[in-house]
Amino acid sequence: MPQRRTLVASAIVVLLLALLPLSGSRYAVDLATEVLIYALFALSLNVVIGFTGNISFGHAAYFAIGGYACAILLTTYDWPLAVSLPAAVVLAGLVAAAVGYFCVRLTQIYFAMLTLAFAMLVWGVAFKWKEVTGGDDGFTGIKLPAMLAHHVGYFYFTLAVVAAGVAALWVICHSAFGLTLVAVRENAVRAGFIGVDTRRMRWAAFTVAGTFGGLAGALFGMYHRGMYIENAFWTESANVLIMVLLGGIYSFVGPIFGAAALHLLQTFTNQYTPYWPTVLGLILLVIVLVLPDGLIGLAARFKAHRGARRGRT
Amino acid sequence: MTLTMFTLNAFYGLALAMNMFIIASGLNLIFGVLRVINFAHGMFYMFGAYITFTVAKSWGAPFFVGVLAAAAALGVIAFAIERLLLRHLYDKEHLMQLLFTFALVLLMSDAAKMIWGTDQYSVGYPPGLGGAVNLGFVALPQYQLFLCAVGPLIAVAMWLLVDRTRWGRVVRAATQDREMLSALGVNVPMVYAAVFTIGSALAGVGGALAAPRIALVPGMDATVINECFIIVIIGGLGNLWGSFLGALAFGFVVQFGTVLAPNWQDVLPYLLMLVVLLIRPWGLLGRPETN
Amino acid sequence: MKYSVILAALGVLGAGSAVAQQPPIKIGVLYPLTGGGAVYGVPALAGHQLAIEELNAKGGIMGRKIESIERDDKLNPATASSTMKELITKDKVDIVLGGLASSVGLAMSEVSKQEKVVYISTVPKSIQITTDKLHKYVFRTSANTDQEGDTMAMLAGRNKLGKICHLELDYAYGNDLEVGILKAMPKYAPDAKIVLTLKPKLGATDFNPFIPQVMAAGCDGVLSGLWGPHFVSWVKQAAPLGFFNKIKWISGGEVGSHEIAGELKGEYPDNVISNTYELWYHGNDPSHAAFQAKLAKKLNTQETPQWAALGYIGVMYTAAAMEKAKSTEADKVAEALEGLSIGTPVGKLTIDAKTHQANIGQFWGPMVKKPDRAYRMMEPAEYIQPK
Repeated sequence: MPQRRTLVASAIVVLLLALLPLSGSRYAVDLATEVLIYALFALSLNVVIGFTGNISFGHAAYFAIGGYACAILLTTYDWPLAVSLPAAVVLAGLVAAAVGYFCVRLTQIYFAMLTLAFAMLVWGVAFKWKEVTGGDDGFTGIKLPAMLAHHVGYFYFTLAVVAAGVAALWVICHSAFGLTLVAVRENAVRAGFIGVDTRRMRWAAFTVAGTFGGLAGALFGMYHRGMYIENAFWTESANVLIMVLLGGIYSFVGPIFGAAALHLLQTFTNQYTPYWPTVLGLILLVIVLVLPDGLIGLAARFKAHRGARRGRT
Repeated sequence: MTLTMFTLNAFYGLALAMNMFIIASGLNLIFGVLRVINFAHGMFYMFGAYITFTVAKSWGAPFFVGVLAAAAALGVIAFAIERLLLRHLYDKEHLMQLLFTFALVLLMSDAAKMIWGTDQYSVGYPPGLGGAVNLGFVALPQYQLFLCAVGPLIAVAMWLLVDRTRWGRVVRAATQDREMLSALGVNVPMVYAAVFTIGSALAGVGGALAAPRIALVPGMDATVINECFIIVIIGGLGNLWGSFLGALAFGFVVQFGTVLAPNWQDVLPYLLMLVVLLIRPWGLLGRPETN
Repeated sequence: MKYSVILAALGVLGAGSAVAQQPPIKIGVLYPLTGGGAVYGVPALAGHQLAIEELNAKGGIMGRKIESIERDDKLNPATASSTMKELITKDKVDIVLGGLASSVGLAMSEVSKQEKVVYISTVPKSIQITTDKLHKYVFRTSANTDQEGDTMAMLAGRNKLGKICHLELDYAYGNDLEVGILKAMPKYAPDAKIVLTLKPKLGATDFNPFIPQVMAAGCDGVLSGLWGPHFVSWVKQAAPLGFFNKIKWISGGEVGSHEIAGELKGEYPDNVISNTYELWYHGNDPSHAAFQAKLAKKLNTQETPQWAALGYIGVMYTAAAMEKAKSTEADKVAEALEGLSIGTPVGKLTIDAKTHQANIGQFWGPMVKKPDRAYRMMEPAEYIQPK
């Protein structure tokens, strides 16, 4: 069960975010919506990376499936959101389960490359199935319920869905299941000896990751009123992977920080200079060389430092 | 498919395979020894091509001087990167190396833009290799024939270096047990630096040799890096002849697949990898890892 | 007389102080400035900047200075969508220009529709922008695939091609251009037959799977939509086989531009007929020489890239529309753009009031060797403008 402190802290964060629209800045609200979506996306990927110790190079696939499915159901089939969104998420989860079944037979880089291969097939389908997905023109003009068409409405919707998603992931990762996953990551052989079906555990983790990745994708598509094949491409998978690594993989909240940091850095450096890759590259370089555990390592170090000081006094 | 077409396609597949092998063999060497997933390898390839352009076209030096210059320049760049930055990361969280090479990609892509601008460039064929050899029933371009000869030469040279020299034994030992090797008095950090240098220089050579047959544009690094990973993985990680075999499979599948099933051409390399990994999870010539 | 001078002076002074108080007009622009799209985005932005410098030197638009807010779209529609929203909500731009890829153009059009801000698509050719997905606030000042396809079919007829091999890149632009060509073929070349259609993938560097097929098909001409690096790679791989000796290559995708000819130099093949938006050595309008001279100075090269003209025209249309509307309000500017004619370095253009498409033409012609030049030039360059 979550500690009371964690609960209180999370509630405060959600509450503070809920106050954001009062600032009156449309831009801040939009940017926060984007960050929330990426945070959920990165967090979902870390169920595979942080909890099973395997990198997925193909997480964009589930993001795209969730996004496209939700967009198509809403727009082409005129389904209500209350049906489209869950259906899209379930579909992403099902595909993740099917792909995961094959991928979890492998580990390490071989696992990573197999997830990449499957993801590129998903990209290929989005590209070639033009009648349904719009191909590389993209699927634009997504229909939304009037309440969500307004940016503040959509922000609250995103906040609620992401908060629920994060809470669900928290519960999953801190359940007996999550703890078993950590055991599998730390020592798969030993976990096997004590009767854990390691492959099955990793399969379940992969499916969970895909499901929540799909949820993030659905939110993303509706926010942009469009889905594009670039969202399924390997560069998008690499991007979310960088978010996770940047935040730190051994902490539950790390990827949230990583997602926020990378997305904001990408946005702000682009505002600042056309040579944004240099600025972003240098910042990442410093982080890598100075903070071996990602951004969350910085927080931990700060805490340790404070703790040590407190201990002295 | 007529015999002529079959011969031609097989030949083109082979030429593509050999060009890709040269680049991928460098990635494989680095991967096998340092265990670093080097996203920047494609960038090294692009730099190799651009440096050849500068030396061979802007400065008017012979093409092969350009190739050597690309190899040397990439060697120097890689050595500096390894000594100044990368070596600090070996003992840290393994995945942070990924983040590091991603930062390298960003920095080098911008450096390329600052040095060469955003125009597209073309490097001509070296004299005597710009035509075709007519065999009667089929005509084969000379430059692709040349690639077919260079690929195996590089493969044999690397095999001799890694399998038949003392230094090669040290490198192989470094993949097994770094601490033990260090205890035996081997300067392991220098071995790592040398491997990274040689591997990256191979990317430079691969880019230089690709330059005459393709357009040089920003972003040309992007697909190559994935294709190299695919070749290395389907061959079996850290296995030189595996990469050679992987490159052949890649070349033939891409060439014949594109002719026979053009609708699938965007995903052919990925399909190939999918099939290989499902049948042989450790690659064609790889061995399961014990941990 | 004296009186009127004083009045005029007062008027100028009044206008002057009004100018000082008025905030600048903000023009947002997105082009790809990094990665593969930078080849086109960077020169297009140069033309954009040139136009703004020129206008500001003359006092801006309606006496208000122009501020250009420039961003990299990274050739990614989602990035373009976010960034365009940011330009609108944070920077409060009055209008947005640019784009390169079809998907980016459509993504920007979608934001334009949602936010009710005018978007002038300056490079994307996707036909959808001005057909299925047309709305009040989107306009295009570049050519579209129907116009390009129409001219290519006309050239196929004029060159009396009988057996045609058709090459298109397998993505939106290539597929749309194919439709445009096929639509126009019966009109111009009723007897011509397309015997082979091949579609290499976007971003392909290796055309060896296709070259032998075209050579074996026995066509007397190729209609091609391979642009930029695709064309260059094709040439490099096909030329050693004597490919261009027998086959006439009629190409869209602006491979008749100086960017390609100047880079390929002696490698540029015979028998190519292609197009370009602008030629530094050949204008279609008296103002062209002035434009070219200024651009040459800005870019520090006489042989300037064609894409700059597209960036330039987008800004010039913006200025004309705002002057005509006497407002920067999106609805009024959009209304002003409908049917608006302006003079540009490539000649007089008119935006159709219904389709929102400018009748921008392109220069078409054979690429020929010149004794005094290291590269080929288009001669004669014929300006073909859609009706």
